[in-house]
Amino acid sequence: MARIACFVEKYNFTDPREEKALQNFKQAAARSGHEFDFMFRENVSVIPKYDAVFIRATTDPLFTAYVVSRTASELGLKVVDDPESIQICGNKIHQYALFEKYNIPRIPTLFINREEFHHRQIVEIFREFGKPVVVKAPYTSFSRYVEKVACETSFREVALRFFRKSDVLAVQKFMPTAFDWRVGVLNDEVLYVCKYMIPKGRWKHGAKLRGKPTVIWGRTFSMKRENAPARLKEVALKACKVIGHGLYGVDIKEVSGEYVVVEVNDNPSIYAGYEDLRNKDVYGKIIAYLVD
Amino acid sequence: MKPTAFLHSSIKDFVLNVNNDYRYLKTGYYVSMHAEVLGNRVIPSSESIIDANRTPILLLKASKAGIPTLPYLVTDSVKQIMAAFDFPVVVFAVNPFSYDGFKTARNKSALYRGVKSLGMNYKFAVCVQPLKGEMISFKSIFGKCEQDQALKQISGRAYSVFKIPICKLHVQRVGHEAYLCGFQPLKKEEISSDDMKTISEEIAQMSNLGEHLIG
Repeated sequence: MARIACFVEKYNFTDPREEKALQNFKQAAARSGHEFDFMFRENVSVIPKYDAVFIRATTDPLFTAYVVSRTASELGLKVVDDPESIQICGNKIHQYALFEKYNIPRIPTLFINREEFHHRQIVEIFREFGKPVVVKAPYTSFSRYVEKVACETSFREVALRFFRKSDVLAVQKFMPTAFDWRVGVLNDEVLYVCKYMIPKGRWKHGAKLRGKPTVIWGRTFSMKRENAPARLKEVALKACKVIGHGLYGVDIKEVSGEYVVVEVNDNPSIYAGYEDLRNKDVYGKIIAYLVD
Repeated sequence: MKPTAFLHSSIKDFVLNVNNDYRYLKTGYYVSMHAEVLGNRVIPSSESIIDANRTPILLLKASKAGIPTLPYLVTDSVKQIMAAFDFPVVVFAVNPFSYDGFKTARNKSALYRGVKSLGMNYKFAVCVQPLKGEMISFKSIFGKCEQDQALKQISGRAYSVFKIPICKLHVQRVGHEAYLCGFQPLKKEEISSDDMKTISEEIAQMSNLGEHLIG
């Protein structure tokens, strides 16, 4: 019997579908005779009492989740997401630099840095990628901090806003599609496959209504991993191999028959009735990996 | 070589990244990251940049390496802090945005204020350590500092673990003992001409080995 600590924050329980998924993890652990406890920020000092740590709170090298992950890893515990994956997936600049090095099929991407950001560079980017382009801050998650710009004025406005936190940003070619593939990968194997639909008239999975704080999410269609295109799975596994062997959610766009990686996320969202709909063994497989 | 020029290059060699501010997402970080992606050996590594700036990880790694540290608690609950330690305590931010390090609290209301401000209104956790002696902050340049023997030793050992060339260390002195408590980037204004001399001496020593220097 192993003891697993699941690091969560209060917001992980606000959505009933996510809460259900967390309970499913607990049940899956109980079925195989393991202990599964939720660990909040107040009691991270209990980490040494456990054998494995599973992080469900949003990860970023700047968040408490990273402190938990690094602490667990230093103490020799099995941890998902491991600190190296958080470091690479939490910074998209790092990730795209690795994709470039290992030649992963990806959306054409350029980096801009604060010191060299000027008119000529903007003109050059528009000439190369066309209009509009997508500006991405390195710490993007849940479709936030990714904005589409079509003219120099808005480019400057968005870039200056993102430069406040990071000295380097990514600029990508705009490739609108009806949906993004989401491939869940665990330990170099495909765990689940879904389609994240883009809401009508928008260009990303989580879109904001103009002038309102609410975010509308596109629908999610789950499919059996055996039925997903083989090339899709191949590209997803290739991209994950560059990063590590943990749990990832790979976003892939299908553009004229080719699969291109948008990004690899650590800590992919798992909602009951969505990602797990056609692949019910998601929970059991993750628990088995944690106690292995 | 200028940091921005290096970010476009594809040099394959040992890289020494000299900067006053190595915080995550700043140019100092990206230089080390770029060098690592190119497969180069680099001082400091991007991992130690992140780890040294997060007090709990700094203390964990330091104590593993045998550097004296005090017990610490990561939490955002004042009640828990009061149950664990007696006053006075020293509170460090775990949030990534604060630049200047710590606050000391001698009573309950000061502790509430410290946790609230360093935790950015309870959004982030804080790292609390007991305050048994006096806090000393000093510059550490390639592990060297102008302090007494105990502090010199801490500074040197911290450099051997994290390899951050230019930084400020917070150390607590209790009697003759010294304990590592925190880490902070240096402001440009804080680097004196003497420090510049030390830096260039160190660089000259290292460049005899034939590396690329970024700074």
